[in-house]
Amino acid sequence: MRSDVHPAPVVAPTPESPADDDVRPVRPARTRPGTTRRRRRLVRGLLVALLAVLAVPFVFPTWWMASSSLKPMSEILRIPPTVLPEAVSWQAYADVFRLQPFAQQYWNSLYIAVLVTLGTILVASMAGYAFARVRFPGANALFVLVLVGLLVPAEVTIVPLFRMVNQLGLIDTHWPLVVVPIFGAPSVLATFIMRQFFLGLPRELEEAGRMDGLGRWGIFWRIAFPLARPAVAAVAIFTFLKSWNLYLEPIVYLSSRENFTLPQALTQYVDAYGGPMWNVQLAATTLTVLPVLAVFLVAQRQFVQGLAHSGLKG
Amino acid sequence: MTPHHHRRRGFAAGLAAATALGLTACAADEQQVAGEPGTPAEPVTLTMTVWTADESQLALFDEIADAYVAENPDLVSDVEFEAIPFEDYTTSLTTRLAGGNPPDLAWILESYAPEFVRSGALVDVRPALEATEGYEVDDLLDSSLALWEDGDGLYAYPFSNSPFAMFVNTDQIAAAGQPSPADLVASGDWTYDAARDIAAATAASSGKQGLVVRDFEYKVWENLSTVWEGWGAAPWSEDGTQCTFTDPAMVDAMTWIHDATFDDGALPGPGTTADFFAGDAAMTITQISRASALDESFAWDVVPLPAGPEGRQNVIGQAGIGVFAQGEHPDVAADFLAFFTNPENAEKLATYFPPPREQLLTAEVLGAANPLLSEEQLQAVVVEGIQDAVTKPAHPSFARLQEAVRAELDALWTADADVEAVLADVCAAIEPVLAD
Amino acid sequence: MSTPLATTAEPLRRTTRRRGSVDRRDRWVGVAMVTPQVLGALAFVIAPLVTVVRYSLHEWNVLSGSFVFAGADNYDRMLADPGLRESLLASLYFSLGLVVLNVSLALLLAVLLNQKLPGTTTFRTFFFSPVVVSLVAWTIVWSFLLQDDGGINGFLAGLGVDGPNWLRGEGTAMLAVIVVQVFKNVGLNMILFLAALQSVPEEVQEAARIDGAGAWRRFRAITLPLISPTILLVSILTIVGSLEVFAQIAVLTGGGPGNSTTVLVYYLYQQAFRFNDFGYASAISVLLFVIVLVLTLIQWQTRKRWVFDEV
Repeated sequence: MRSDVHPAPVVAPTPESPADDDVRPVRPARTRPGTTRRRRRLVRGLLVALLAVLAVPFVFPTWWMASSSLKPMSEILRIPPTVLPEAVSWQAYADVFRLQPFAQQYWNSLYIAVLVTLGTILVASMAGYAFARVRFPGANALFVLVLVGLLVPAEVTIVPLFRMVNQLGLIDTHWPLVVVPIFGAPSVLATFIMRQFFLGLPRELEEAGRMDGLGRWGIFWRIAFPLARPAVAAVAIFTFLKSWNLYLEPIVYLSSRENFTLPQALTQYVDAYGGPMWNVQLAATTLTVLPVLAVFLVAQRQFVQGLAHSGLKG
Repeated sequence: MTPHHHRRRGFAAGLAAATALGLTACAADEQQVAGEPGTPAEPVTLTMTVWTADESQLALFDEIADAYVAENPDLVSDVEFEAIPFEDYTTSLTTRLAGGNPPDLAWILESYAPEFVRSGALVDVRPALEATEGYEVDDLLDSSLALWEDGDGLYAYPFSNSPFAMFVNTDQIAAAGQPSPADLVASGDWTYDAARDIAAATAASSGKQGLVVRDFEYKVWENLSTVWEGWGAAPWSEDGTQCTFTDPAMVDAMTWIHDATFDDGALPGPGTTADFFAGDAAMTITQISRASALDESFAWDVVPLPAGPEGRQNVIGQAGIGVFAQGEHPDVAADFLAFFTNPENAEKLATYFPPPREQLLTAEVLGAANPLLSEEQLQAVVVEGIQDAVTKPAHPSFARLQEAVRAELDALWTADADVEAVLADVCAAIEPVLAD
Repeated sequence: MSTPLATTAEPLRRTTRRRGSVDRRDRWVGVAMVTPQVLGALAFVIAPLVTVVRYSLHEWNVLSGSFVFAGADNYDRMLADPGLRESLLASLYFSLGLVVLNVSLALLLAVLLNQKLPGTTTFRTFFFSPVVVSLVAWTIVWSFLLQDDGGINGFLAGLGVDGPNWLRGEGTAMLAVIVVQVFKNVGLNMILFLAALQSVPEEVQEAARIDGAGAWRRFRAITLPLISPTILLVSILTIVGSLEVFAQIAVLTGGGPGNSTTVLVYYLYQQAFRFNDFGYASAISVLLFVIVLVLTLIQWQTRKRWVFDEV
């Protein structure tokens, strides 16, 4: 199903917001007596312990998923679950690629998500900018019309959309998975975020561009869009994740294995009687999750800072 | 963008469908019959949706399809088998039907059989089967076909007929000092009460679970029919209009199940998972095809279902292949179905799916497919298990009933439940649906 | 948010009034820039919605292919359908529980992570990681953990507590579904709050500190008002998202016990895809859409009362 990814409201850069989120040194308590400092350290230790406890329900399932992909079937379903595999086997990872064109499916998901992300950024930043900055007749009505897309669950429109795609002869192609998200409901969220950002962008920056003889399009493209990097980053991450995890639509639109996307491919690792091959499914799932997690690990500081920079005050 | 390899509905045809909104108004009473396939202008591509993704099964289907294409190059250029995950199978199929793009052929779950059969969505394939040389329609078992017939019409071919049986972990049972079920079968004492006592004692001794009705999981209640058939109970009347959950037979059967679970500890309670094949339980009721999940980790046996107060009743799980009337080439598809399931190919398919053909139901044919089972086991459980077997409950409004009964039965799965009161609630909930 | 939902460009400033011709040219650029999004919304949102409204006025059995005009029958049926009432209540319970738990946990985590404690980066990754994990895998793992004899109760037994049968109890099943959903998505809201917290000016905090305000008072009086726009947005998006919960229900409870976790979308899905009753399902879709619309409007209309920093 859908990935329930929420966007960030992003607004213009506020220069005073602190950039570093990790490295800011603890304020030295020079003037305070030693007991206060000890108490502070105790409190901080307790807070770290609290974080560690809170982290367990977040980490355990992912850990279980990764470690279980190395277990034999019978051990996976054991209750209570084992934390470490008793006997490590990489067989499931070999099966992932043997049973299905998994590399092809990986590529499908990847290029669809990248296209959707790029397309959404373009469509949404243009629309967001125009709705925020340009006065044109009917703007309010059009904006409300577009916002409806924010409020429609995919289950509601899937049947009419399927009929449309079918009439165009595009079943079992990737077109509906690329075009509908870029222009349809999923991109509305992105437009909304971009509009919020551009609303807060200081006008003076644009005035300078106008002095230089730039038209509206030039101002958007040369000045506003480059300044919107934090908002674009947020939109990119949410859009990518949403496309990467899309489930209902591929199931409905695609029918041949070489066209499948990852969430759909995962369900195909079943035995002769429809029972899931848990170890292979989990191995494949791990392969789909780890790269995204790795990217977040590397990029998270920029991500959070980008959002913080952008003020996010709404 | 991956190019659109497989031609489907043309653009013009799509537009035409759009104008008519693709809603072929064929009422339920004017069902269609597949006739002789006229040779199409150019060979067509057939699609069949299946819920298996098993590569060896798909390879076998492809092999049979290739042979058909080789024999009928003018008729068919390719047959595609589309694997849809089991969980999403009906959703996907329904969306395609709603969208006016049904497959030519589809596997159909037994629970949905009456709904599909009576809806007019499928064509009558009997004439196509009868017209096929060497098909031997008479060899098909009447009891297997019953679910898929409406009047004289046969609306799907039940390609899979897997009997329910009792798998037992003989290691655990012996360790608990309990009698062997095989011996009880031989002496004629193999009853549900005996099974319950063995299960309870073995569970107490092993610390694991006793008797697991597989895939029931306190949601899929229709799997309990393997048990209550021994009481001669049924959820609704034969014609599907009266609720019979409150009949004495059903009350007794459900009371037995409830007490075996909550008083004797013979069945695992709700929210407890136990996989027999992982060695977590002493015995399990499931389809014989699951034998492939067994390995050397414990000694096991497979015996027929126990007898209830009303004797023993064979139960099978079925799956059918139907041809969609809305498809583009129902005649060609029916002709392919006749080829796919002719005696020769049915024998090949028997490797995975016990066929509805009497002459193929021998321990010899099935033995090739089930090397883990002895000839005696096959004879007792499969060959005799399919004869005169009944299927699990089915109804034209099955999905609605399934959901309504599940919701009401949840009240039954507590230690202090009032069985009769809960079953009365079940009837109250489903009677409006049955009356429709 | 500095402007209400339905207003678009800020009023033009006087300085730009001089350049009337530029404005006129601007108009067309503006129209051109929104065109892809507007056409897309028309084709892929509005048109399907109109079609759904049309379906809702028909009796449509997909299997038999019957499609008969039924007027308001499906809407009349909704009024008399006890299952629908139950699912509305379940949705209300689910959405409220989800928003309250999600927002408060996200805020708590963000505040903790904003304390510059050692290991913050690691913890942030931990809390965020479920967001990228596939929903189905996540839900399946939790369904194992929440079994009567599963990991959670095993842990509780270690503490000497006899845990309930989470997914089977009338009271606990919905709670379990909510908690699983919160753990899955709270990381994203946490990041949004974290970013908001980091844009609260240090000087204001410092001034309050000097005035002798305690940590809790500073949080209540300064931080909370300053991040209230983020709270509003996170709440709206969580509520809108909560109406789309489906796989979680299917895997964890199947709508039970009884109908206690059959939320509206799950009910809609059953009517459409399990019972093949597309006309009725379409009517429920229309209802769902109206509910989301009204909820969102209410949130926007009441925001002035509790959101600081509104202009």
